[in-house]
Amino acid sequence: MKVRFKFSKHGVLKYIGHLDLMRYFQKAFRRTDIEVLYSKGFSPHMIMSFAQPLGVGVESDGEYFDVEVDDNEDISLMVDKLNAQMAEGVVILDVVKLPEKFTNAMASVAAADYELNFYKDSPLSEDLLNKYNSADAVTFVKTTKTGEHIINVKEFVFDICIKDSATLFVKVDASSAGNLKPVNLVQALLNLEGKAPEAYPFHILRKDTYMRDPEGNLVPLNKVDYE
Amino acid sequence: MMQYTALPEDILMSIEKPERYIGHEINAVYKDKEHISVRFGMCFPDVYEIGMSHLGIAILYDMFNKFEDTWCERIYSPWVDLDKIMRERNIPLFTIESQEPVKNLDFLGITLQYEMCYTNILQVLDLSGIPLISTERTWDDPIVIGGGPCSYNPEPIADFFDLFYIGEGETRYRELLDVYKASRAAGDSRDEFLHKAAKIPGMYVPRFYQPEYNEDFTLKAFTPVYDDIPTKILKELVTDLDDTYYPEKPVVPFMKVTQDRVVLEIMRGCIRGCRFCQAGQIYRPVRERSVEFLKDKAEKMLKNTGHEEISLSSLSSSDYTHIEELVRFLIDDCTKKKVNIALPSLRIDQFSVDVMERVQDVKKSSLTFAPEAGSQRMRDIINKGLTEEDIINGAVLAFKGGWTKVKLYFMLGLPFERDEDIEGIAKLCNSIAAAFYEAIPKEKRVNGRVNITASTSFFIPKPFTPFQWAVMDTPDDFIRKAGLTKHYIHEQLNQKVIRYIWHEADVSMLEGVLARGDRRLSKVILSAYKKGCIYDAWSEFYKHEAWLESFKECDVDPDFYMYRERKDDELFPWDFIDCGVTKAHLLREWKKAQAGIVTDNCRSKCSGCGSARFDCGICINGR
Repeated sequence: MKVRFKFSKHGVLKYIGHLDLMRYFQKAFRRTDIEVLYSKGFSPHMIMSFAQPLGVGVESDGEYFDVEVDDNEDISLMVDKLNAQMAEGVVILDVVKLPEKFTNAMASVAAADYELNFYKDSPLSEDLLNKYNSADAVTFVKTTKTGEHIINVKEFVFDICIKDSATLFVKVDASSAGNLKPVNLVQALLNLEGKAPEAYPFHILRKDTYMRDPEGNLVPLNKVDYE
Repeated sequence: MMQYTALPEDILMSIEKPERYIGHEINAVYKDKEHISVRFGMCFPDVYEIGMSHLGIAILYDMFNKFEDTWCERIYSPWVDLDKIMRERNIPLFTIESQEPVKNLDFLGITLQYEMCYTNILQVLDLSGIPLISTERTWDDPIVIGGGPCSYNPEPIADFFDLFYIGEGETRYRELLDVYKASRAAGDSRDEFLHKAAKIPGMYVPRFYQPEYNEDFTLKAFTPVYDDIPTKILKELVTDLDDTYYPEKPVVPFMKVTQDRVVLEIMRGCIRGCRFCQAGQIYRPVRERSVEFLKDKAEKMLKNTGHEEISLSSLSSSDYTHIEELVRFLIDDCTKKKVNIALPSLRIDQFSVDVMERVQDVKKSSLTFAPEAGSQRMRDIINKGLTEEDIINGAVLAFKGGWTKVKLYFMLGLPFERDEDIEGIAKLCNSIAAAFYEAIPKEKRVNGRVNITASTSFFIPKPFTPFQWAVMDTPDDFIRKAGLTKHYIHEQLNQKVIRYIWHEADVSMLEGVLARGDRRLSKVILSAYKKGCIYDAWSEFYKHEAWLESFKECDVDPDFYMYRERKDDELFPWDFIDCGVTKAHLLREWKKAQAGIVTDNCRSKCSGCGSARFDCGICINGR
């Protein structure tokens, strides 16, 4: 049976990178009596799929991963069992059973909500937002193996609003094809003002991660009962 | 919930691997410091992922934290990127758990696993704001105590330590902490406390011992300044390894560390008595843990860590009496739990080949032999009880089991070495390759051909070994011998399948000086540190020129420690330590080496090394 866990990640654990977080969860499962299924071969590993890797330094209220467990496992006990093995900062919030042949967490990701808190020298203003809304293109330069590309972030932003003078809320594309990193969005916004972004002047909190339901609506990754 | 970090976010986001510094790992111990009377910092003076892989610290961390009045925290060397930032911004070194300055602690314990960490000790003290020289410290500073294998010759770093603990840590720390508490309650001075500590068995307080030198700088006398502290310090050891501390919940790091697995120490000591090996002498006598103890600990540690691998630890696992029973148990148990088993230091024989076929991917893994020397003559000199026949038979067994990769470890620069012994390295590699082609018919050669890797390191004489009298080779000798090895390998019929790798000679020189050094070296180490030397064990940071300048400035001749002929009756700087094995025995072994005579291992016949006085282990129940 495939199940999908939702968890949050706060505090100093935000400095743990994605690969180490996967190892952390594998070890955590091994400390529980939840029977996780393994791949075959000489070095069997747990069959797990994480949604969207969280950058180092980013906190989150809505992370997801899928794991395949034995059919006899009682799903109602799993959250407590796993929470008993968590380090301070990671909390398991929910688990749902996935329907047969359901798209895995990594492939389902379509969007994510972020809250960006500028803890000093906030550049946020209604004026900036107006500039953003009226501009045809709001861009940053992305350097890849193939060279420099100018990216228009407006193609990847689904929603943007100022919550208070220091906090920006955004809903952005987080799919594997069009993932927009919050850092790049801020870069593009500051480009509008002609300012160079300082190193990490803001905290990033991912609020939730979304997939599309059959009608194309964005729903959180654990809302699998829409069928 | 707000977790405190000593380092602000902008620093953590700008350095490599911030996970090294944040704590909160699974099984890390947090205590309420209001209810603690002794705060102990356990430091491994190297980077986190090296230090976190060390079993000794895991054992002592567990022991200290079982004491209700004590909180033991961990400390590691900040990596070079953070080191720089901490100096620029005046950030004091902190512990991993509380993230508080090291200076707030009662004790700073530093483990001494290799000589090349000595400048990192100064890095740790300096960043902590603790005076580097012991006698300049006050009660505002923690008591700085050293332990581990290099404390068997603590003299080169004597000036930096208040105290050394000689021997195994499980036995005397409780007593030391009690003396400390009483001393503090009584309002003793630091010196008064150290005087009391110096009376506890195993404790060495360098400032209370005075060396006197002859004109040629050899040691004339080494005497305590008080009548009531011992002239000779007997090492501490655990007599019953089933009745002592062993962690059931070791800390599980977030990042991948060198030993990302459960480590099961099956025994201490070694029956073999290889004449170059310090561990083989200082951990005598051999003491085994019972299979029941090990099964119990293995299950609990796997359960409490979630590790996916378990490894056996000892100097020679095949010599553990119940190795087959233990390994069979682990295979059954671990296969069920999908846990891998790592079996280092297992002799290659029918049993180990059978076992490894079950636990390893034969096609990918390689088998390792450590003949240490190429010729039988040389192996007899070093007392390595391994014949060419043993090696070839082992290799053939492995080839028949499907292995095609063999690794061989050798040393160059061993005492009494001749060029023909070096040629022996090449010939042995060639014979193994020939054995492969003979044993495995063409159609059954899985990867086509055999791969042999010969690796040489340079021999460094160590205290408390029969070779402590030996003259070390010069870097020029080493380079010549490495070249010769390469040349001889090229002469072999099967040279195409033999790969040769060797290690640099400069670092070996410094290790050679520090290993058999005396107290005069403290100022050289301090000078090198002030010239920016840290992480000397990492070849990319080792600054050979800076070290050479430091020797010159301090007017200390490094050659004195490496190339001087030592007389049989010379008083060595480490002779005030009694490691159990007598100097008379070591000298006997040195003479037997010269004559190429082997000595039986402890299990076949007692050689009267002196360790029987501990009245434990193989000395009372072995043979």
